[in-house]
Amino acid sequence: MRSRFAAFVQGDLDYIERTHAKEVRDDFNRSAAESTAKSVEWVSLEIRDTFSGGEDDDTGTVEFAARFKKDGALQIHHERSNFRREEGRWVYVDGKMNPKGKPRRVEKVGRNEPCPCGSGKKYKKCCGV
Amino acid sequence: MERRFSCTACGKCCHGLLPLTIDDALAHADKFPLVVMWTPVRQGGRSFRVTADLGITIQLKKRKLAAVRIAPTAYIPRTFPCPELTEEGLCAIHAVKPQRCRTMPFSAYRDEKDQDDLMIPRSGWVCDTSDEAPVVYRDTSIIDREDFEVERERLVRDAAILKPYAEWLLDSVPSLRMELQKIALKPGGGWVLVAFSTLIPRLPKVDIYTFAEKQVPVMKAFAQRTADNPGLAEFHQRYVDGAAEWETLARTQS
Repeated sequence: MRSRFAAFVQGDLDYIERTHAKEVRDDFNRSAAESTAKSVEWVSLEIRDTFSGGEDDDTGTVEFAARFKKDGALQIHHERSNFRREEGRWVYVDGKMNPKGKPRRVEKVGRNEPCPCGSGKKYKKCCGV
Repeated sequence: MERRFSCTACGKCCHGLLPLTIDDALAHADKFPLVVMWTPVRQGGRSFRVTADLGITIQLKKRKLAAVRIAPTAYIPRTFPCPELTEEGLCAIHAVKPQRCRTMPFSAYRDEKDQDDLMIPRSGWVCDTSDEAPVVYRDTSIIDREDFEVERERLVRDAAILKPYAEWLLDSVPSLRMELQKIALKPGGGWVLVAFSTLIPRLPKVDIYTFAEKQVPVMKAFAQRTADNPGLAEFHQRYVDGAAEWETLARTQS
């Protein structure tokens, strides 16, 4: 993943193409990717989250935010990418742009339950007033 | 119920916006200023189903959906003739003209049973719909279906590219979804125009530099022709922006 970012920064489209899964290779428009790589100035790469993708895994997912400047304006490419191990090498399979996180769950505390602050009092007698 | 129709080659329908198949857009990139047009169709509208099948759907408020037609389009003002319409009023590229033109007066963007009004000449058109003209549509069936079927086939094939493209762009540009939702709820409807350059990465065989070189002069020519017409300011701006974008792209070639 980081190596692909580095390749984009350096405009090494050969590397980008080599690290594509088979099914992506046929759908890849190299000239378009090249022109995009050249028209932006890459600023930073931030890995936000990873799922599997370890030594014993055959698939892995990386969520990242790549910052770049285009026409002077700072922009963010935020993607969750899926990778697969093909003949020992990690290759890019697909990605979801601007992925949404898991929905936030809010637990409701009953008035007579112990207060979540840990005081030992009932919620209604403590923080829940 | 029968409809009679015969084309008199008046050239009146050779004006204005022209939706194209992807192949037609690419083949004529040196002639037409291209955009991708996104047109919401509300649930309950006649062509909702076919538009959803060929395009995508988006969620509106109150659990309602809108289908969105995504069409590569020659972006030409209504008052402008097609750049290939000759002074004699004939098509200069008749042998290779777009499938959209061939299927007229029918439209594969709509259901076959929903074609009736298309054979009523619009104001100013001089289509022959008299008793002399042949019957072309009977009991909601097209008599000579060949061009309709060819166009529908290509639209189905394009859908395989346009659907994932649309989902990807909606994820990438969140404001696009909001704009489409707004337009879907507007009584008069409308559309959102997106630069054709957004579609190129999804077309693996297209060289973006060659394509850019074709679009630059077209965009410039249309920008010039619309420069002094305040009524066409929206078109003019689109051409100016298009020319600038394709020019920048062409320059990135090593």
